Amino acid sequence: MNPLLQIQGLHAGYSGVPVLRGITLHLDAGEAIGLFGPNGHGKTTILRSVSGLLRPTSGTITFDGKDITRAKPSAIVSAGLVHAQQGNTLFGQMGVEETLELAAYTPRARTGWRDRLARVHALFPRLAERRRQQARTLSGGERQMLSIGCALMCNPRLLILDEPTLGLSPRLKDELRQAIVAIAADGVPLIVVEQDVEFLLGVSSRLYLIEQGEVRGEIDKAHAPDHQEIMDMYFGTGAH
Amino acid sequence: MSGILIPTLVSGLLLGSLYALMASGLSLVWTTLGVFNFAHGALMTLGAYAAWTVSVQLGLGLGLGMLAGVAVAALAGVLIELLLVRPFYDNRAMMLVTVMTTLAAAIIIERGISILWGPRLKQLPRVIDGQVSIFGAPVSAHEALIIVLAPVVLAALWWYTARTQSGRALRAVGQNQDAAALIGIDAPRTFSLAFGLSAALAGLTGVLLGSIRFVTPGLGADPLVNAMIVVIFGGLGSLGATAGAAYVIGLFEALLVLWLGLYWTPSVLFLALILILVFRPNGLFGKTT
Repeated sequence: MNPLLQIQGLHAGYSGVPVLRGITLHLDAGEAIGLFGPNGHGKTTILRSVSGLLRPTSGTITFDGKDITRAKPSAIVSAGLVHAQQGNTLFGQMGVEETLELAAYTPRARTGWRDRLARVHALFPRLAERRRQQARTLSGGERQMLSIGCALMCNPRLLILDEPTLGLSPRLKDELRQAIVAIAADGVPLIVVEQDVEFLLGVSSRLYLIEQGEVRGEIDKAHAPDHQEIMDMYFGTGAH
Repeated sequence: MSGILIPTLVSGLLLGSLYALMASGLSLVWTTLGVFNFAHGALMTLGAYAAWTVSVQLGLGLGLGMLAGVAVAALAGVLIELLLVRPFYDNRAMMLVTVMTTLAAAIIIERGISILWGPRLKQLPRVIDGQVSIFGAPVSAHEALIIVLAPVVLAALWWYTARTQSGRALRAVGQNQDAAALIGIDAPRTFSLAFGLSAALAGLTGVLLGSIRFVTPGLGADPLVNAMIVVIFGGLGSLGATAGAAYVIGLFEALLVLWLGLYWTPSVLFLALILILVFRPNGLFGKTT
């Protein structure tokens, strides 16, 4: 089976400072994968390269067989690869409902947008309650819901979620995680970045450990290591 | 006194309408790109000259002339964005660099107009002839039309930015460029659109102004300064605040002319702006955060 997303030898960085040093990973059709690893080691940089916000220095990214390494973000979204940013405040002076409507912007997102809006409201009832409110008046958790809701409005064929529960209270974390499980159950292929490996194993079939701009390990759910082995991988105390 | 006051208020309303038309175009570009377009006045002038050529020189009527004025200005606006603003998107000092490049565009357009159309004064015909009376003050029908037209154009602009996907995209790009890109909005295309739309408004204003004043290469330069005061006064933000500030300044200016005369009015207007900014740094209608 051809992978839906293939990243090959990806190098990227900011103003000449390299962050990614040869990332190679893939996602098969119908699969969900997770990325984990310490902060500041390149997880978000991988996602920014994939969605076209950052131009890689070398390497290739192919989505559904097409090379998107140097494509514009708008073209990548139009193809169905959608990235919900970390801690994103979206459009502060825009209403919640208006933002969701706007997010169905590309032609592929426009068809059937009302059904998707209903799905977003079902997943996040709070967004329906706050439909007239401006985005900047929302709480952190609600912003995160709006961010994921917007990504769903884009009609994704692959949805990338960057630390969707960062900085949230345990209760809100739970609420969002249930929504992510529901999105995965809808059959949307996912790439989820999270610190909580147990949660990641719950929604995805494989995990990559990203450290110092490299893929340092891969965990397959079929023969998942136990908690201690993962912790060893994470903290580099054990051998792998 | 009341015999002078009402005509003064009406002339203030007229000034306010013209400022509102100009300033809404300026603020559209500012909120989308963070660029202050100093060529906005020159685009007005260009619109007026294009309209003159089509309606007077070629004798094709004012309707076609207006259309030509708006179209030529819009085209020039898109060209300014492509040639003089787009190369500097990634420049850290984009705002300052584009002050220079759009100022250069203003000078090139004004000098170009002098060369193409010559220095002789021109006048556009009025859209409607005759006089009407507003609260007993006699006003030319053309000026009354401007007073009625401005709110209609502003309402249309508001509807466009609030209710249509492409108008919402303009606001989205202005508020968060990365997030806009990630829902599939092509920022450069949006910038062209903002510049073109703003320039079209400039062209329309130029044509309307060209039937009240003589059309000279400097037609748009003077009102541009006041339109900039309006945009800053309004708090560099929403369309509503800009429009409100336009009418406040228009009426204030008309009253100043009545009380102090034409000579002192510009200085007092600037003094008032500075005072307001001391006490309300975010403008008259800006948020106080």
